[in-house]
Amino acid sequence: MRAARPDIPALVAGLALLALGSVLLLDALGLIDLGFGLFAPVACAVTGAILLANGLSRRA
Amino acid sequence: MRRDHAAGWLGGVCAGIARRYGVDAALVRLAFVVATVAGGFGIVLYALLWLVMPAGDSVRRSRLPSGRGAIEVALGTGLLLISVLLAFRGLGIWFSDAVAWPLVLIVSGGALIWRGSATASPAPQEPPTAPLVRGEPEQRPIRPEVARAAAAISRTGVGVALVILAGFVFLQATDALSAARDVILAVIAVVVVLGAIFAPWVLRLFRSLTEERAQRIRSQERAEMAAHLHDSVLQTLALVQRRSTDPQEVAALARRQERELRAWLSERPAPGKAAALAPALEAAAAEVEERHGVPVEVVVVGERELDSNLEALVAAAREAMTNAAKFGAGSPVDVYAESNSDTVHVYVRDRGPGFDPGALPPDRHGVRESIVGRMERHGGRARIASDPETGTEVELELPARADR
Repeated sequence: MRAARPDIPALVAGLALLALGSVLLLDALGLIDLGFGLFAPVACAVTGAILLANGLSRRA
Repeated sequence: MRRDHAAGWLGGVCAGIARRYGVDAALVRLAFVVATVAGGFGIVLYALLWLVMPAGDSVRRSRLPSGRGAIEVALGTGLLLISVLLAFRGLGIWFSDAVAWPLVLIVSGGALIWRGSATASPAPQEPPTAPLVRGEPEQRPIRPEVARAAAAISRTGVGVALVILAGFVFLQATDALSAARDVILAVIAVVVVLGAIFAPWVLRLFRSLTEERAQRIRSQERAEMAAHLHDSVLQTLALVQRRSTDPQEVAALARRQERELRAWLSERPAPGKAAALAPALEAAAAEVEERHGVPVEVVVVGERELDSNLEALVAAAREAMTNAAKFGAGSPVDVYAESNSDTVHVYVRDRGPGFDPGALPPDRHGVRESIVGRMERHGGRARIASDPETGTEVELELPARADR
């Protein structure tokens, strides 16, 4: 039986949101201080990774 | 002379010039760079040639996704870049706001301008769509080239705006804007005044250049069509007249011609068409032998895959073989082809009574359009030497770079 191929954009989006959630959890636990200087690059990276994976998947 | 998108780096101008004159494209590019460094003349000349030279038939296809996918890739890449820059800034690994952000804007604007210029080239024509169901209201035909041009212009406009913004951000961040304000205002005033004075002339010149270019393309397409009809339909009709006493032969000729013409009209390869130079020349020789009953001997040294330019070379050689068979007083026809890294040569020779190439009547298209004109349109040339003692030799030459 052939294994189902993973949905790359969904996988990237899930991992990116997982990373964002981890950062927010660390902030809530007081382990890091999540100011704008840290949140802005993380938010940009998450959104950028999702968009890039989605756009590249359209080529196929 | 045509722009060569397949071998080109920017607009294919240098590659087109190199292909036309059989020189290395790197030398042409170097000449343009030197002319640009020496006073900016190279850029102006390049832009003028880009406007004047028609696009070649080999259009470079973008490997990037198009439409919504391209926007997502561009936004995603931009956001990732910004996140990296913000992270560096937060970590203290930072050189200067005055350099980094203008650089980001310039890269983004440059990418948009580059993308706009790459997609502004005409794409191959789409096949005609299926006819509408009877009874449905008639719809206006979609013109994809208009939509593509509009998208390219809007992308280029945004790109130019981003690059100008980058310049202003840099000047502002380095406190040079206030010092340069008077100069910038003076430059803007001069540009506006000159624009108001010369805009009508520049616009008219641009329109006339565009119209001239379109006319030249139409004229070349007409000549190509005339040459094809001469080589195929007119010659078959002449053979039909000559063999009118044999109905089966006439029917076979008509069937073959119909198949060939249908394939040409639908832009499909002709039935049994060869993919390389040697088999294509041998097939053309066999066809001429069969039609005219004159032996045609073919020798080919070196092999090469057929492309549109080599197909034109084979068509010109086939016309030269036909002429040799028709007017060579029954003498055998010799075809010698040689292909090396620089050029492809084909020689077609007969030992007939010869003719004066300069004294051909203007309504005879065989030599003028199907051989000489066709070779010139595809970046090659044809030479005809004819003598009553030794016969006629047609030499066809195509630079190897023309087939890239």
